[in-house]
Amino acid sequence: MIEYVVRRILSGLIVLFLLSTFLFFVMRAVPGDVVRLQLADAGSVTDERMAEMEAELGLDRPALAQYASWLGGVVRGDLGDSLWERRPVTEMIIERFPVTFELAFLSIVVAVGLGIVTGVASAIRRGTVTDDGLRVASVLGLSVPNFFLALLMITSASVWFNWVAPLSYRRPWDDLGVNLQQMAMPAIALGVSVAAAIARLTRSSMLEVLGSDYIRTVRAKGASSRLVNYKHALRNSLIPILTLIGLQFGALLGGTVILESIFGLPGVGSMIFRAVEQRDYPVIQAGAILYGTIFVAVNIAVDITYGLIDPRIRRS
Amino acid sequence: MTTVAEQPDAGPTGGTVDGPVLEVEHLTKHFPIRTGLLQRTVGHVRAVDDVSFHIDRGETLALVGESGCGKTTTGRVVLRLIDPTSGTVRFDGQDLAEVDADELRGLRQRMQIIFQDPYSSLDPRMSTADIVGEGLAIHGMASGQAQLDRVTDLLEKVGLSARDLRKFPHQFSGGQRQRIGVARALATNPELIICDEAVSALDVSVQAQVLNLLKDLQTELGISYLFITHDLNVVRYIADRVAVMYLGQIVELAETEQLFTDPRHPYTRSLLSSVPIIDPELARATVRTPLEGDVPSPSSPPSGCRFHNRCPQAVERCRHYAPVLVDLNDGRQARECPEYRPEPFGLTAQSYRESELLNQGTEAGE
Amino acid sequence: MHDAVLRIAGLRTQFRTRQGTVDAVSDVSFDVRRGETVALVGESGSGKSVTALSVLQLLESTGSIADGSIVFDGRELVGLSEKEMRDVRGREISMIFQDPSTCLDPVFTIEDQLVEALTIHGTARSDARGRALELLRMVRMPDPETRLNAYPHELSGGQRQRAMIATALALDPQLIIADEPTTALDVTVQAQILDLIRTLQAETGAAVLFVTHDLGVVAEIADRVVVMYAGRVVEQGSVFQVLKDPRNPYTAALLASMPGAVAGTGQRLTPIEGVVPSLLDMPSGCRFAPRCPHAWDRCHEADPPLAAFDLNRESRCWLEVDGAVDGVGTAEVVG
Repeated sequence: MIEYVVRRILSGLIVLFLLSTFLFFVMRAVPGDVVRLQLADAGSVTDERMAEMEAELGLDRPALAQYASWLGGVVRGDLGDSLWERRPVTEMIIERFPVTFELAFLSIVVAVGLGIVTGVASAIRRGTVTDDGLRVASVLGLSVPNFFLALLMITSASVWFNWVAPLSYRRPWDDLGVNLQQMAMPAIALGVSVAAAIARLTRSSMLEVLGSDYIRTVRAKGASSRLVNYKHALRNSLIPILTLIGLQFGALLGGTVILESIFGLPGVGSMIFRAVEQRDYPVIQAGAILYGTIFVAVNIAVDITYGLIDPRIRRS
Repeated sequence: MTTVAEQPDAGPTGGTVDGPVLEVEHLTKHFPIRTGLLQRTVGHVRAVDDVSFHIDRGETLALVGESGCGKTTTGRVVLRLIDPTSGTVRFDGQDLAEVDADELRGLRQRMQIIFQDPYSSLDPRMSTADIVGEGLAIHGMASGQAQLDRVTDLLEKVGLSARDLRKFPHQFSGGQRQRIGVARALATNPELIICDEAVSALDVSVQAQVLNLLKDLQTELGISYLFITHDLNVVRYIADRVAVMYLGQIVELAETEQLFTDPRHPYTRSLLSSVPIIDPELARATVRTPLEGDVPSPSSPPSGCRFHNRCPQAVERCRHYAPVLVDLNDGRQARECPEYRPEPFGLTAQSYRESELLNQGTEAGE
Repeated sequence: MHDAVLRIAGLRTQFRTRQGTVDAVSDVSFDVRRGETVALVGESGSGKSVTALSVLQLLESTGSIADGSIVFDGRELVGLSEKEMRDVRGREISMIFQDPSTCLDPVFTIEDQLVEALTIHGTARSDARGRALELLRMVRMPDPETRLNAYPHELSGGQRQRAMIATALALDPQLIIADEPTTALDVTVQAQILDLIRTLQAETGAAVLFVTHDLGVVAEIADRVVVMYAGRVVEQGSVFQVLKDPRNPYTAALLASMPGAVAGTGQRLTPIEGVVPSLLDMPSGCRFAPRCPHAWDRCHEADPPLAAFDLNRESRCWLEVDGAVDGVGTAEVVG
């Protein structure tokens, strides 16, 4: 098991390296110029000023040299400075990460809670109106993009209930009530589509397990349907569901980029969004590395959890 | 039957007519067990361990044994579906390890396999005509109308008809699918067919149809069979000679009736006495000593005699002494078990049954 | 009347399919007496497993008992609520299934699964643990203390089936239904398990309904035999009568097609030509008529009743009914 985890971490590192290398060169190939953007912001774009600024930011050097020094920094734990804010990216991430973490955590709670409950209900009531209704709902949940759902929620809340979440962001430890009001809608908007995917898989996975021989054995012992469904069937169904949660975590992280921007949350997601607009290369790269690391870590955690659920994996 | 290339008796490759169709010598197949970060090999599953046998033309050799004895792997290695670790397989006098890819393809056309599961071994998206004709097409033996004619002939030979040409596997019953499997195997005029548990998934009434079909085809076409099965009743019906395998090794090899009536190895005898007897009176009258425990894992076979931990006659030295396969008279072979006594418990089930059947025969004759 | 622990009469079990409702079994009647072993034999599609599952009402959701009566220990089971059936399952009637590798829950230990069988019916958890070990000893599990904490995948096939049998014995049921319990096992292990079932039956006095396709196993284990074909009982009687002197053409044909019955005598197998009819397309007369070597006009026109002759012997064949007319045997038509 430990060897397996080590192997996974190593392969994760390779993936992260390739990803950041790819991003480094692609971002520089994309049209748009950070220097020009900044100078335009300040109001005067002259060739002289541009050259000066390029030198200042180190952008006048060949791309490979820039890449080498950036990579050298990463290895030492220095993700570079933001080209706009002129301060370490690491500092910015530390500031903003709690917001993103909270959003991701809340939406995964929404996704897993809603998804598993719906999926189990659907499987147990297979072929009934409840099942049909839940399945239609999950298809809807899958097909509505999260940013659209977010806008829909904001609009309907303000139009019908005349309610808008407090505008200025509060951290949970400063004012939990306000924080949750601000977090509720983005977390739901983000969690719903993942919940729909989990619900569909839970349903099919549960149905497969419910049709298996050992479930019949449990029934032949005289077990109640509650015992059959929750102790035996759900636990055996969890393996594929866990895998899906791991995979969907990537989609969820991606979603934070858009939703934080829509809801004005000062997290890593909105930081990346703005960095892309502004061609703030170090920030984009750092964001990619951070999200990639989280994704890899979550999937390793998922693999470890398998072992807790399934003894066949634990002991091999 | 216009352009079908008939396989001449003496192959164009210069094989001999009289020699055995298949000779297997010291065949060994070890599967590595890999583990850890670097996928180090930590051990081997000794699936097949120094197995030798031959099959004569028109003969059926049965390979029997319980799960994990290596019988299926042996079949696959013979066909070169997997490569052996060591040992040689000679088909019609030619060493399969020494032929090039083209020649191997040519030899493959003369060796076919019928699989166990008539449900999963046929491609559900192919029609009967395509399934049976595939081998003809691959080996360039026939095409177009000639191929269709040949396929029709084959279907009729196995008890199906031209009406089945355009049907798909799901439209057939299990027994019919296995007939399609037989027709497919026959398509290239093979000299040897490996039947890997070919009738095990079938109901008995249908199993009898397929067994009779295989026997008739042998009489008619002179095909040899390597018949791999766990079912001793089927073996007794179909086989000329039997090789009994246990944990990758042959423990006994003999003509069928000799083996069933006079086994020379404790495992053979235990195996035979485990087979349920269909006569309820005999079943109750027979004293049996079921083997203890399960077949050990072939990755760590017991020391000494591999059977010692389950053998009813094992003594201390069986833990260390590994009996070798020796030639007895009449072409029989058995691992020379020093502790073996022919009938230690009086009558064995099988010999009891023999005498009973003989009695019945004489009664009926009178 | 003999002392029947289980009496099935006129059982008809249906399944909903896309092509409509089909009767998987119909007009199935037989008894299992206290302490005896009855083998329910048939090929695939004969309805033997459906009959067994009907007794405990463990059919898939598309299946249901449409008609008939299943009386267990004097009590009608057909029509009981799911909750009432749960009290019967595992406690009064328990079941052993075919493939021990798929029939034990892979994520729980053997002890968990044994304890569960006991606690479901009210045994205290503390008592159940001791009983679990006792049960493993009963089924001659090697090294039972260690095996208690093992997961199913850590046991061999034979050991798993022993664990399964231990579960079935947990509450000392009056009837054990064994559905092909040795089919997935190697022949030497099959011999062990058959031996174990025989021994345990002698020890506990439970009746066994043994479902199998293998007439050899039937000969080894059964007192009486019920032969099924295409959803019907076609013959029943003592194991000696049915296997040594089959009266129904199907039973006789089945025996003639078994390699074990003729092997070594130089005889050729006599297969049953054709295939088992589909439930969706049953022949109008006798269901075996299209494959029967003895069939004549009447067999294709009308379905023969299950006719009793001798004591406790029945066969479903016009030969039997007409035999009475001809004075062969003492057949009478059973309602």
